[in-house]
Amino acid sequence: MKVFTDNEKKEYRNIWVVAEVLSGEIQPVTHELIGAARTLADVRKSEVWVVVMGSGIEKTSELLFSYGADVAIIVDNPSLFGFIDETETKIMKRLIKKYKPEIVICGATTRGRSLIPRIAVMNYSGLTADCTGLSIDSDNGDLLQTRPAFGGNIMATIRSSNHRPQMATVRPRVMKSPEPDPSRTGRMIKEKMIPGDSTKTKNIIDIFHNTETAVNLADAQIIISGGRGMKGPEGFKLLKQFAKRVGGAAVGASRAAVDSGWIPYAHQVGQTGQTVQTKVYIACGISGQIQHLVGMQSCDLIIAIDKNSDTPMMQIADIAVVGDLFEIIPEVIKEIANL
Amino acid sequence: MLHHIRNKIYLVEVLPPKQDSEKLEKDLEKFSNKYTRVMESGYCACITDNAMGLLSFQGPEIIEELKLPVMPEQVMIHLNTFHRKDDLDNILESCKSKGIKYLLIITGDGSDRLPKLRPSDVDTTDVESVTSVELLKYINREYPDSFVLGVAFNPYEPEEHEFEKMERKIKAGATFIITQPLIEKNEVVDRLIKKYPEIPVVVEAWMSRKLYLLSEAVGYEIPENKEFDPISTLKMLHRLYPECGIYLSLLGFKTQYHLIKDTWT
Amino acid sequence: MKIVVCIKQVPATHDAKIDPETKRIIREGIKAILNPFDNYALEEGIQLRDQFGGEVIAISMGPQKAENSLREAISVGVDRAILLSDRAFGGSDTWATSYVLAKAIKKIGNVDLVICGKQAIDGDTAQVGPGIAAHLDWLQATYVMAVDEISSSSIRVKRMHEDGYDVCEIPFPAVITVVKDINIPRVPSLKGVLASKKYKIPVWKPDDIDADKSKIGLDGSPTRVVKTQPPPFRHASTKKIEGTPNDCARSLLKELRMRSII
Ligand SMILES: Cc1cc2nc3c(=O)[nH]c(=O)nc-3n(C[C@H](O)[C@H](O)[C@H](O)COP(=O)(O)OP(=O)(O)OC[C@H]3O[C@@H](n4cnc5c(N)ncnc54)[C@H](O)[C@@H]3O)c2cc1C
Ligand SMILES: Cc1cc2nc3c(=O)[nH]c(=O)nc-3n(C[C@H](O)[C@H](O)[C@H](O)COP(=O)(O)OP(=O)(O)OC[C@H]3O[C@@H](n4cnc5c(N)ncnc54)[C@H](O)[C@@H]3O)c2cc1C
Repeated sequence: MKVFTDNEKKEYRNIWVVAEVLSGEIQPVTHELIGAARTLADVRKSEVWVVVMGSGIEKTSELLFSYGADVAIIVDNPSLFGFIDETETKIMKRLIKKYKPEIVICGATTRGRSLIPRIAVMNYSGLTADCTGLSIDSDNGDLLQTRPAFGGNIMATIRSSNHRPQMATVRPRVMKSPEPDPSRTGRMIKEKMIPGDSTKTKNIIDIFHNTETAVNLADAQIIISGGRGMKGPEGFKLLKQFAKRVGGAAVGASRAAVDSGWIPYAHQVGQTGQTVQTKVYIACGISGQIQHLVGMQSCDLIIAIDKNSDTPMMQIADIAVVGDLFEIIPEVIKEIANL
Repeated sequence: MLHHIRNKIYLVEVLPPKQDSEKLEKDLEKFSNKYTRVMESGYCACITDNAMGLLSFQGPEIIEELKLPVMPEQVMIHLNTFHRKDDLDNILESCKSKGIKYLLIITGDGSDRLPKLRPSDVDTTDVESVTSVELLKYINREYPDSFVLGVAFNPYEPEEHEFEKMERKIKAGATFIITQPLIEKNEVVDRLIKKYPEIPVVVEAWMSRKLYLLSEAVGYEIPENKEFDPISTLKMLHRLYPECGIYLSLLGFKTQYHLIKDTWT
Repeated sequence: MKIVVCIKQVPATHDAKIDPETKRIIREGIKAILNPFDNYALEEGIQLRDQFGGEVIAISMGPQKAENSLREAISVGVDRAILLSDRAFGGSDTWATSYVLAKAIKKIGNVDLVICGKQAIDGDTAQVGPGIAAHLDWLQATYVMAVDEISSSSIRVKRMHEDGYDVCEIPFPAVITVVKDINIPRVPSLKGVLASKKYKIPVWKPDDIDADKSKIGLDGSPTRVVKTQPPPFRHASTKKIEGTPNDCARSLLKELRMRSII
């Protein structure tokens, strides 16, 4: 493996964010990453660049500056509407060669986690997955990346300082999104897409939007989650009623509930489900094993309802309601109606 | 099941080897010895199905591989809802062809590795997930008159909920009931017996000294009791429930088997 | 059709207990298991072979005891298994791991399709699948939830995304990574397990796959784990609510109203 000298490293500057684009819209995770990149760039006295690949994306890209981007590289082409990993890899490879970023970060989404490893291999860059913390050495730009592994049982600190650019993915809702400042401006660079050999590419035949499977755990302000303590699908009917009364809360679940078939997998919160960072998380009959906690412990307010007051969930909760949830939740629903 | 009660035939639980066993051949031999011993005593061997979600081999395939004899009144297979459809059908076919007729139908425990039957697998659409009730209906529909189907009763669960489920199980074709382990007189079980006078009830006797294991198995805290003596508890259950059969769980084949010989008189 | 399934042996993290004093995982007594996601990869490989003919080969890079996972693959029905095991492979990160696996796949030769699990439950990166595709310069489809069609030259799949799914077609040779929705993995039968115990698993070393020694193991890995520590614990002061169900409901709603949540 080739090790970069300090002089070679110096040729690489600026912090890049690869934008997450869905159906022509830039997703909130991109703003969160710009926030994180801004902090790193300020330490390095360098710039935040965002790469946007997609179709019809120029307009939405202008908003990036208000979140803290200095430069936006736009690759706008109809053939980039769907997600073609190989094409986007080729584009990124070319851009990296041309502009030499010091760091490239990307959302740890299904797209990000498919695209970035490909780019990293082609570049011989180290890539750290699912980072929850990033810090940078102000002198040489080495990135210290913190991430959970072993199912959230340990946190590992990882560096890949022999190479540039250094690469990392960050899960959505792990970094806080900055407040947009509409007065901020920046530079836009338009790059062309160079078409490749079309016989050797992925052919996207159809795209289906299915908000059912997204379950909107991502967009919700409040999540009401049920675990094995819900006892069955009927329990989840009760939770859905509760969620409706609270005003558009989403329903989540522990894996124990999902594995029992009481509710589809798309509702699962945790290490092998979704990470959520809502204002309120109400855990009902969930004991709070580590695999569940890693998916929700950064929610602002955690409320637990459990008949056992000693569970890990009841310990970490801000509010712990002790009792039988089949008695308490109907009362809560009734009392909300009385408000 | 009345046959077993009248003739004082114990139902003896026999655990099949686990999938991750590092000494499978030895475990198979042990299984074979236990099974044979139960047969020779004239008792009924009850083979569990991935109990506590621990991935284990299936009764019928072990019987086949080890060429064990099947006496129709002396073998019972537990069957839960954590199977692929093709495996479920294989197990049922294999039971039928071997002359195994007693099946204990339970919802069972899942795990990462255990597939769950989907509603469509058992031709139902009105539930989110398959329970013992749907499995009972399926077996009765697909294999009418082939099997004698039993179900479990947990007196430690909220009573109303449990009785409501029992009603559905009976409607779905269950013809005998086995309770979770009892270590003393249990009023919920008394009510069960009263409610279904025509249905044979088998009470389970906990043959291990470790009561915390019982707590884990039934999902509720059973207070530790250093005095707990399985054999005298078994005798007490005979006195308390003379009209019931007895299922022995976690029976020690080395330490206890010889002691139970004359307890049911 | 020739299919390679990549499988990894991992510690059973659901058995992992945290030491309450040191806040570290207690590693003693944790069993090594086949990565749960790889069961789905194996099942898919076996089903595709049964449907279209050909051969499925399971490969794994890891210590000698990883052969147990390969044996499990044999017990559910793969045709062959190969272990990549050598001191020099130790300490490989995802870059180097995917390099070794790609080299092995080249060595096997004439492979049409490589199937990986979505991710391993220990490293948790989901990077090895796309990494293999990049090293081989093959096309990839990740988070595959269904294989819709397959021909002698291409495969059509559904890929899961956060906002739904898409249908895409890629020509062979290709790499796919699969999610749990794709199938229901079979459980090994007693017959299969007994037969797998007799199977002799070949072990390949760096030279057997023409690996460039500077690209494998710790030295070939661009990332370094510099330290590991227990996860941060939330320090919330917990407010306990007890009483009759109605008392609980009222107190809870009071708290929620105080924070203008409802
Ligand atoms: C690799 C791996 C990945 C995993 N990923 C996830 C994941 O993504 N998400 C996840 O959730 N889990 C995950 N798990 C599983 C996790 O380890 C736990 O098994 C699971 O979270 C337990 O679910 P639970 O809290 O609902 O069930 P339990 O631990 O059984 O807790 C049930 C709770 O309900 C309470 N209760 C019961 N009845 C009542 C009642 N009537 N009233 C009030 N309270 C009641 C009980 O006191 C108990 O605290 C994963 C495990 C592994 C190994
Ligand atoms: C605490 C910790 C943190 C780590 N963080 C990083 C990191 O951020 N970046 C990094 O590059 N490396 C990291 N590693 C190293 C990484 O775990 C190893 O490279 C590992 O060999 C593969 O990565 P994974 O476990 O994430 O597999 P994944 O990429 O999640 O596995 C996906 C699929 O690839 C296949 N596969 C993976 N490994 C093998 C194998 N050995 N043999 C056969 N098939 C396989 C399987 O099909 C699997 O389902 C870390 C290791 C540790 C211990």
